[in-house]
Amino acid sequence: MRLSWSGSLLGLSAAAVLAGCSTTSRLEPYKQTDAVLEDGEGVVILARRHHATHEAEQEFVDCISDALASSKQEIVVHDSDEFQDMLYPWFEPSTAPLNVADLSELLDRPGVAERVSATGVRFVVWLDGSTDRVASGGSITCAAGIGGAGCMGLAWWEDDARYDASVWDIDQLNESGTIHADVRGRSVMPAVVVPLPFISRPQAKACRGLGEQLETFLTTPSGYGAGIGDVG
Amino acid sequence: MKWSSLLFSAGAAAQAGVLAGCASAVVVESEFPTPVVESLPLNVGLYYEPELKDFIHAEALPRSSTWTIDLGDANLAMLEPLYEAMFVGTLEVATLPPSASDAANIDAILSSALNRFEFDVPATSRDQFVEVWLEYRLELRDPGGNVLIDWLVPGYGKAEIDGSRESAVHRAAIVAMREAGAKISTEFLSQPAVRDWLDEKFNEG
Repeated sequence: MRLSWSGSLLGLSAAAVLAGCSTTSRLEPYKQTDAVLEDGEGVVILARRHHATHEAEQEFVDCISDALASSKQEIVVHDSDEFQDMLYPWFEPSTAPLNVADLSELLDRPGVAERVSATGVRFVVWLDGSTDRVASGGSITCAAGIGGAGCMGLAWWEDDARYDASVWDIDQLNESGTIHADVRGRSVMPAVVVPLPFISRPQAKACRGLGEQLETFLTTPSGYGAGIGDVG
Repeated sequence: MKWSSLLFSAGAAAQAGVLAGCASAVVVESEFPTPVVESLPLNVGLYYEPELKDFIHAEALPRSSTWTIDLGDANLAMLEPLYEAMFVGTLEVATLPPSASDAANIDAILSSALNRFEFDVPATSRDQFVEVWLEYRLELRDPGGNVLIDWLVPGYGKAEIDGSRESAVHRAAIVAMREAGAKISTEFLSQPAVRDWLDEKFNEG
């Protein structure tokens, strides 16, 4: 009987993993200039927060910042809160520049360009997007009695981590390019007496992929990205 | 007797636990940055409504708990550096209208009040964000006491629930206050009544 239970558990788990727990990812980088970070220059990662329905999670912003700071190229990453404080009130959700023309106008305001220069930030990376649950299903039923307790069933859910990173060059006052990341992961949790979660982490994978792409983007002058050939 | 006493104590303890668990208290504390704005060449008397300094919002949310949110100190922590950057000179006045000696040294009086405060904490775990709406009321008066502008300044903030709900309310309130501060410091001069008054004042000078 014990063999039968454990066999069922293993069989169901294996089937669930094979059928369910999976990740698909797509990264689309597009760089339209040859600009790269020079010595003494840094980057700041900021989340777009003006949408009513979503905003890039702070943990995702921190994850990208950490990925760049600990990269092989040892990119200097300025703290985003400190940057927003130094430039207050110009990078709040309602006042932050929405395009490079707005940024150019902002830098013409008294004291703003000096503050930006003092931070050493050359590139602003705007993160837009979020991780959302796009589907879920199945059910698990648990019961307890005098003889013991246990669960039975199968639950699954699918998360979609979809982010855009727009890179602005403060020195050249242009948009250097964008990187789009879309990672979708399905998690499953079979339960035969004990629930066994097989969790897919699309947000972590999106962070890893976007971090690697950004590192290359900010340090490689040419031959990078799908769109580089389109620019003279 | 012993058992009933024990049961009574357990019941009382459980009730106290439930009541304590249903109350959430947030004291909004933060350092607010000094804005990067050009100072207007004005000496302004600043009057803060007493309710602004001691502002505590208390509300029982349906299907949730009773909340008390204390914004008193944070209001001043946000507005003081803001006004000091916006005007060449500031002087806090204790009364409205100000004393004759205070009135002699100022071009205008700006009074600040918190007109409205609302917040929403999601009842279900699927909703990820706490939201805060607030509205400051600013009145600019000339030294004679005539109201030049009566301006309602809204602020909105939301914060992701990635820990406790209290912490998310705290962060959302700070975002909303910063938003209101950003509006005050960037849009004050574009208020038509303020522009007209400044034009008149400096053309006279």
